[in-house]
Amino acid sequence: MVDFLRNCPQYLANGLANGCIYILVAMGFNIIYNSTGIINFAQGEFSMFGGLFAYALAVSAGLSLPLAVLLAIAATGLIGACMERLMIYPLRRASVLTAIIATIGASIFFKSLGRVLWPNEAYKVPEFTPGNISLPGATVPRQFLWVLGLTVISVLLVYVFFSRTRAGRAMRACSVNRQAACLVGIDVSRMSFYSFLLAAALGSVAGLANAPYASYSIGLDLGVKGFTAAVVGGLGNTFGAVTGGLVLGLLEELIPGFLTVVMGISTGYKGAVASILLIMVLLLRPQGILGKGMVEKV
Amino acid sequence: MEEKREDSLQEVAAAGKGERRGGFLGEALFLARRHVVFLSLVAFIAVMPFWAKPLSKPLGIPLVMVMRLVGIYTIVAVGLNILMGYAGQISLGHGAFFGIGAYTSAILTVKAHFPPWLGIIMAVLVAIAFGFLVAPVLRLKGHYLAMATLGVGIVLFVFLREMTWLTGGNDGIRNIPPLSLPGMRIGEARDYLRAEYYFIWVIALIVLLLCSNLVRSRLGRAMRALHQSEVAAEVMGVNVSWEKIKVFVLSTALAGLAGGIFAHVQGYIDPNLFTIVLSIQLVTMVVVGGMESIWGAVAGAGLITFIPKIVEALPKWLGEVPRWVEKYSNYEGMVFGLILVLTMIFMPAGITRGLSDMVRYRRSPFVNPFRKKAME
Repeated sequence: MVDFLRNCPQYLANGLANGCIYILVAMGFNIIYNSTGIINFAQGEFSMFGGLFAYALAVSAGLSLPLAVLLAIAATGLIGACMERLMIYPLRRASVLTAIIATIGASIFFKSLGRVLWPNEAYKVPEFTPGNISLPGATVPRQFLWVLGLTVISVLLVYVFFSRTRAGRAMRACSVNRQAACLVGIDVSRMSFYSFLLAAALGSVAGLANAPYASYSIGLDLGVKGFTAAVVGGLGNTFGAVTGGLVLGLLEELIPGFLTVVMGISTGYKGAVASILLIMVLLLRPQGILGKGMVEKV
Repeated sequence: MEEKREDSLQEVAAAGKGERRGGFLGEALFLARRHVVFLSLVAFIAVMPFWAKPLSKPLGIPLVMVMRLVGIYTIVAVGLNILMGYAGQISLGHGAFFGIGAYTSAILTVKAHFPPWLGIIMAVLVAIAFGFLVAPVLRLKGHYLAMATLGVGIVLFVFLREMTWLTGGNDGIRNIPPLSLPGMRIGEARDYLRAEYYFIWVIALIVLLLCSNLVRSRLGRAMRALHQSEVAAEVMGVNVSWEKIKVFVLSTALAGLAGGIFAHVQGYIDPNLFTIVLSIQLVTMVVVGGMESIWGAVAGAGLITFIPKIVEALPKWLGEVPRWVEKYSNYEGMVFGLILVLTMIFMPAGITRGLSDMVRYRRSPFVNPFRKKAME
């Protein structure tokens, strides 16, 4: 028990860092869900592309890191935009089941593409500023500050976008009622296009900030965790995503930490924490911690 | 005498038109006509090993061996097709139920020395138990259900991997005894491939027959009703949540059955065989075979199982192939992904349904989604 408490600051720091990544992925889910009503199962793959593109541009092509990062974000956004035009637009009137299967198809297509282009298990993306910081009771890499900063900036930008700008408010209108939004002159299909662009860009930030390693295989895992974060906070709610991401990040460090240090159980169970949390929240409080009750029209 | 013959001829004609008439011959013909797909499948399966054997070598594909796997996947795909196609409830976790079946039978036969047939029966029972355990997620709908079943698959996989005292962890379980029935040694027979093949397909055909009857029963109609509108089904007196649980448990039972057989056919298992990749592969089989189509499940399982084998055999047929074809396993995900996306866009009811509609209604099976008018 004492060991566990002594480790706690480290768990908190790691949890916060992972939580930030989950927040970014969760916001991607929210943006797409808000404007199209679709859960994009390929959201985690956007993060995979972010990391791998950053590696390709910064290490393989030798560009300067800031330029590589910007280009990687832009390239991933482009992939999201292509996906919307080629797949989501033709399916805009399809049933939920159809949309789910199609985005899953996109997800394994992207994963396999990533594996073909970058076949190794992991690639080291250079850290923005190398080195570690020592805090009382914990050591965190400098990269952590970047992750935190990028997340805060992204959350604020998304919030401002949705509450202050014309396009953002139009997207929110789509989420409330697509038909009504159309009647007041909003181009619904363009909003869907923007949302995929934006979600892919946000996802790629999560992937490339998640240094030092990028791999073709992170997509599914990150996708499930990001979705869990989004659901825990209430799907579609920006600050819900923040809450959900932090809760998930912390629980995912603290629970396995407790089980390992105090009860001597293998850390391998860590992978199940997010899924168990997801199932519990969906069954017990499907509207999320911050969400209001859901009413479904028949 | 003459009159009697006239009578039976009439019966034959009537049966030919699908009307039911008395008499043994009429009855038999009526049944034959009604089960024409099933009977032709039985005939195909029964004679297949005889012509497959001389053909396997020049083709470079061990046909009988692959067909065993097709049979196993058919069993799962039928269950999943009933769940997805008829009842409209998606599951992205069926790979894990398949794994539970495989592990149950493997553990019982290796560690407790059960005979394999009893192990397989236990596999079905354990899969049913897990089905009921997981059934509460069926309260969820659409995307939530998909994500929750995905989560179930991940949790079960993690437990299979981490409970090393029971499952052997990543090393898996080796030396699983081959299939056998009381008094019959199937997996150790002289021509064991053929024996296993017939064993698997007899089970698969029984499952197919039962399921094709099931979907025409009250439960089948209830499933289709709740697929279209749960509220309307409820109003018509369908106990929606209980029907959904029944269908789900049926599909997990079939997954457990297939998994149990799989363990004995393979001889070794490890948790990485039963990941989300398998679950998605099973969904692809259903999609390719066609929603709401029992027989489509056979086609889907066959196609998805044969594609990699054919690609592997390509160098033998063509002599030389580009390097990227040889590394097909890397591209497999891209192929499956494209199949899923394109099928959903152009033939949302699945490939076999799309093609059979083309024949039946003489129209293009492709809906052109780009030409539809904007929704609003």
